[in-house]
Amino acid sequence: MIPTSWFLVLGAILFSLGVLGVLTRRNGITIFMSIELMVNAVNLTFIAYARELGSLHGLMWVFFIMAVAAAEAAVGLAIFIALYRHRETIDVDEANLMHW
Amino acid sequence: MSFDTPDIILSLIKIGIVLGLVLSVTPVWVWVERRGSALIQDRPGPNRIGPLGLMQAMADAAKFILKEDLVPAQAHKVLYTLAPMFGLIPAVTTCAVIPFARGFVIPEVIEYSGLIGAILVGGAVAHLVLGIIALRVTSHFGAIAGATRVNQWIGRLVAVGLFATVPLLLGIFFWFRSAGPVEIPFGFAGRHFEPIIADVSVGILLFFALSSLGVYGMATAGWASANKYSMIGAIRASAQMISYELALTLAAVGVLLGAGTLRLTDIVYRQSGTFVLFDTIPLPAWNIFPMFIGFIIFWVAAFAETNRLPFDFAEAEAEIVAGFHTEYSSMKFALFFMAEYMAMGTISALIATLFLGGWDIPYWNEPANFVGFLASFASFILKTSFFLFVFVWVRWTVPRLKYDLLMKLGWKVFLPLALLNIVIVAILIPLGWI
Amino acid sequence: MFEYLIFFTFAAIAVIFSAIVVIHRNPIVSALSLVVSFFALAVMYVLLDAPFMAALQVIVYAGAIMVLFLFVIMLLNLAQTDEPISRPVQQFLGITGAAGFAITLIYYILKAAVIHTGGPAVFVADARAIGVTMFEAYIFPFEAVSILLLAAIVGALILSQRTSAIAKDGGAR
Repeated sequence: MIPTSWFLVLGAILFSLGVLGVLTRRNGITIFMSIELMVNAVNLTFIAYARELGSLHGLMWVFFIMAVAAAEAAVGLAIFIALYRHRETIDVDEANLMHW
Repeated sequence: MSFDTPDIILSLIKIGIVLGLVLSVTPVWVWVERRGSALIQDRPGPNRIGPLGLMQAMADAAKFILKEDLVPAQAHKVLYTLAPMFGLIPAVTTCAVIPFARGFVIPEVIEYSGLIGAILVGGAVAHLVLGIIALRVTSHFGAIAGATRVNQWIGRLVAVGLFATVPLLLGIFFWFRSAGPVEIPFGFAGRHFEPIIADVSVGILLFFALSSLGVYGMATAGWASANKYSMIGAIRASAQMISYELALTLAAVGVLLGAGTLRLTDIVYRQSGTFVLFDTIPLPAWNIFPMFIGFIIFWVAAFAETNRLPFDFAEAEAEIVAGFHTEYSSMKFALFFMAEYMAMGTISALIATLFLGGWDIPYWNEPANFVGFLASFASFILKTSFFLFVFVWVRWTVPRLKYDLLMKLGWKVFLPLALLNIVIVAILIPLGWI
Repeated sequence: MFEYLIFFTFAAIAVIFSAIVVIHRNPIVSALSLVVSFFALAVMYVLLDAPFMAALQVIVYAGAIMVLFLFVIMLLNLAQTDEPISRPVQQFLGITGAAGFAITLIYYILKAAVIHTGGPAVFVADARAIGVTMFEAYIFPFEAVSILLLAAIVGALILSQRTSAIAKDGGAR
């Protein structure tokens, strides 16, 4: 049996990679994909803990996270399409209309 | 996860059967498609190479290998090369979850070993003869044309013989032992042989998961080719596959509700036997009867899912040259071609499994032995072939839709109908009809 | 032994392809790498005795969400719009921040010895068990998610309309 902590470490690495992407990239879609990566790292952690504790409630959370991620992807990508129509770019630094 | 050697060998045998079946059926089906289209359009079709033109696919394969492998200058080289593989892998792997015959317990002794030996030897000899004819035909295209006559024959024998060796040796072994019953060696005796590669608890979900990856082959190919027509084909393919996957999955939900399981072997076992309608008419307990709407939706959505006419917008040759594989040539194109036919084969097998009782033979309780295995296997092949033939039939009968009509059909007709099907099934289950 | 081999192979695949997602400048390559990474994660779920979640992961993420990403990237033809050289300060802060975050996380995970066991021997997470839990304990969140998805569909449609409904009505709505 593989120790649970190994899965947690894998989740931590993937989450940090997602953080790296969000902090360093400026292409909106890539940032969005990094967020999806972080969400998946959290999913892995949830399932690892569900296995560890022998409880199905962790899996429920993963289920809801997947549903919310689907909704988020639909709305987020629609926002990027709208942004591209107005600005001809999806560089997040260009979307600064509400910047103080 | 623990395995012992006989288990692994049995798994390898299953993989061999399925892969051999899929790979050998593909060229035959290309022939069926071409001859079938010729039949429908009242022309002879390919009839030069081999008897009835049966070796046409071999010649095509040789031609594909010999063609120049072209990569457009502006293409993304890596993804351009990977795309055909993305297309082929889902088509091949989905075969793994389909049960193709009735399971049986391997007996301690084999009674009719002489008969089995004769069948195996006969099969091996037939394979050798057909294979050598095939290679003789294809060698005209230069595959081994440069060699001397003797070397050509040695090459053919080796190439074909590799595949015929195992059945030949087994057959000779059984034949010589035909004096009496043969005991099964190596601990195979008494094991249950379930003819499915991956009998997983989420079988049907695994099928949908893997088949939904098929879109990446097209999308990647279309984008990496750096060609407008390829690109349009790819975008059409991804929109179409997302839309129709929904109808496909929802149509299958009715079956899952009725069976109460996601495991495809259980779904098939539940459909064997009879269902007595109104206490008078005994019908096979197939899902097609209570879930006819679901069956029709699944069947039509399968055409869209495999990009076949009347839904082949990803490669509509009258509109966008050849769609996502406009720029592809040689073996890369052949891989897309094979993937299309394999996807057709697996989705046909899935329709038969979900709605027509899989390998079940109506009104006959298949015995759990080798005879039952062979008979149910034949039944499964027959049902799958029927659906495969309808793919060909429809392609040359129904014209292509308009693209907006396709989307309208998917979202405004099939989706509500699939939900209706689920409601009907949910009403029928408490009534005891399923 | 076999399990460990699978774990390390697919963990390596997940990490490498996730790194490509973050680093590569072409969004299409990033999206395809993310699909591979998600697939490797699905294998992890199988190792954790949750094959249902693994199938769901591939269907939802690889089969639907990432196709949507790819679709949008192709539609907007974003592969050509490479972002300019980023500001070095932002790069430096991002890398150090992420690395520090990773080190801290891994340190505390490994420090907590209580989670090194691996759980009970039998863990049933098939469709039936998940369904029972879902429709007994989580029925209200389930319904809420369905409303959320409906709202998302409407929102996405409104947002991606070529001329927005508000502009057409002259702001009357």
